[in-house]
Amino acid sequence: MSVHTVTKEQFKSFVSALIASDRRVVGVQAKGDRFAFDDLKSAQDLRLDYDVTILPPKKYVLPQQENLLTFQVNGQSQSVCHQQKTVLIGVHPYDMAAINQMDMLFSQGEYDVHYMNRRKQITVIACDVARPSPNVFASSMNTATIDHGYDMLVTNIGSSYVVEVATDKGKELLSLMNGARDASQNDLGARKAVWDKNEGWLNQHKLDCKPSFLPKLLEKSYQHPVWEEKARLCYSCGSCNQVCPTCYCFDVQDEVNWDLKTGCRYRAWDGCLLQNFATVAGDHNFRKKRADRFRHRLYRKGKYVPAKIDGQIACVGCGRCITACTAKIANPVEVYNELMKRTEIG
Amino acid sequence: MTKPRVAIFDFACCEGCQLQIVNLEEDILKLIDVVDVVEWREAMSEQSHEYDIAIIEGSITREEDEHRLEIIRSRAKILIALGACAVIGGVNKMKNNFDFNEVRQCVYGKDGQMQHLNTERTKAVDEVVQVDFKIPGCPINGAEFAQIIRSLLVGKKPFVPDYPVCVECKAKETICRYEYNQICLGPITRAGCGAPCPSAGWRCFGCRGMAENPNVDAAQEVMTLYGLTVDDLKQKMVLFNSK
Ligand code: SF4
Ligand code: SF4
Ligand code: SF4
Ligand code: SF4
Ligand code: SF4
Repeated sequence: MSVHTVTKEQFKSFVSALIASDRRVVGVQAKGDRFAFDDLKSAQDLRLDYDVTILPPKKYVLPQQENLLTFQVNGQSQSVCHQQKTVLIGVHPYDMAAINQMDMLFSQGEYDVHYMNRRKQITVIACDVARPSPNVFASSMNTATIDHGYDMLVTNIGSSYVVEVATDKGKELLSLMNGARDASQNDLGARKAVWDKNEGWLNQHKLDCKPSFLPKLLEKSYQHPVWEEKARLCYSCGSCNQVCPTCYCFDVQDEVNWDLKTGCRYRAWDGCLLQNFATVAGDHNFRKKRADRFRHRLYRKGKYVPAKIDGQIACVGCGRCITACTAKIANPVEVYNELMKRTEIG
Repeated sequence: MTKPRVAIFDFACCEGCQLQIVNLEEDILKLIDVVDVVEWREAMSEQSHEYDIAIIEGSITREEDEHRLEIIRSRAKILIALGACAVIGGVNKMKNNFDFNEVRQCVYGKDGQMQHLNTERTKAVDEVVQVDFKIPGCPINGAEFAQIIRSLLVGKKPFVPDYPVCVECKAKETICRYEYNQICLGPITRAGCGAPCPSAGWRCFGCRGMAENPNVDAAQEVMTLYGLTVDDLKQKMVLFNSK
């Protein structure tokens, strides 16, 4: 739509104006010596220089726990829908890519009203990565930069920010940004330089193949020894699922109120690594072995989900699972590279 | 509909879990609206031999307590173990790691030889009688207790997580203790508490007992990744997870 340049002071005033508006404003902030998305009380607290957040911004489109409906025991039910305009500031390209994937997944087949409702109320201000986190490998996954999904994209070019407005929602916010001027050729050149750099250096773990090759690689890898070798140390703790921007499984539970006549149904994050994730009626668990569950996650990322979303690989290289796994076995690059080494592709 | 009669009994414990029930405040009024509490030493003086649901707090450390428990079991339709002491033996099981004479001497000094201080190996409630439902934690989480009771009252299987604490810890976006090379029992401990300890900067002490099928073998090897040893881990497990 349009590309502008603002000084850092002007951008800060813009954030203050957003906070003063009737919207919920969420931005990346320091949490101890790490970073997290949280409600922004002051523009001062926004940290666009962050490396990675502990949890992805997924928690705003698919919260850890959310009520779906209220019901009467043996009676009617009523859908609960969330209504609040929210602005998310500081979404990195790899996380944007993950939200783009979820948008596809939740709107195809059985349209998920709860997800889509929240999503529609969110305006995303993405920002390019300022420095690599210890485990990021977005460069390997082609997600170090991104060209769609956001409403606004902010790139730090040193002295100022280049702000791209991509949608009507983004344009609506632009009216709060005083002092924005059209970006010059120089500014655009500086932004391109940031992109070029990020496409190379956000790569702490290097995938030995193109991501688009993964579905084919996995076709031949079901019986590979690596699953057992790695899963031996797996706690089935699900941390790798919980922190993943593309994991979208949830569990549904009902709770009754004290009147014992009414109640509510909620959903909460689930994870395919958990012991009883695949346990169905009659207590039959069709992925009983740790290695089966361990393998399942990497098949989801590299083969099963891509089949649903035009071949996009459902690992965006954020590296969070690598950090979160206490047993240090969850690194997708290590596993995929191991498969590359020891699998014959006909 | 007649209200189910509930009796609450305590054995070897600090009664902290009962206190969590008392602390339910508004919810406690709603609770006594839907059940008929017929015996509860901590909150009332009445006693009764007729009840549908027996809630047992504390662990079993004496022969006469085993008999008392067996009688309660025979009278109750549903028996619930309440809190770490009842569900897994809890802190009381630390005793099982030592010679009992030494333990008595150490705790009571010269009085240690008195007959009524004679106790046996600590047992969890399910080591003595059949337990229908377990509400873990030291102390229990009041909201979880309320949720479980309501589920039982409408005949629905209560939801108690069988997965590790890490799930809830991650959902809270807490920085993991292992990122600072510190031990945490979260990966092998049953969730349901909402991970308050790691969120407050502590480790998980394991008060809810083991998660289903914990990978204890892995834990031994994983410790070395953090410059820790199996003994470091075992030491931390003594508090709530002694045999
Ligand atoms: S699999 Fe790991 S690296 Fe890939 S998107 Fe999920 S958390 Fe990030
Ligand atoms: S985080 Fe690691 S240990 Fe936990 S379930 Fe995932 S792979 Fe297993
Ligand atoms: S479980 Fe903890 S709080 Fe509850 S009775 Fe035992 S020691 Fe006290
Ligand atoms: S701090 Fe403990 S409970 Fe939390 S994720 Fe780490 S190991 Fe699990
Ligand atoms: S975090 Fe661990 S020690 Fe703390 S309440 Fe939960 S299970 Fe108990």
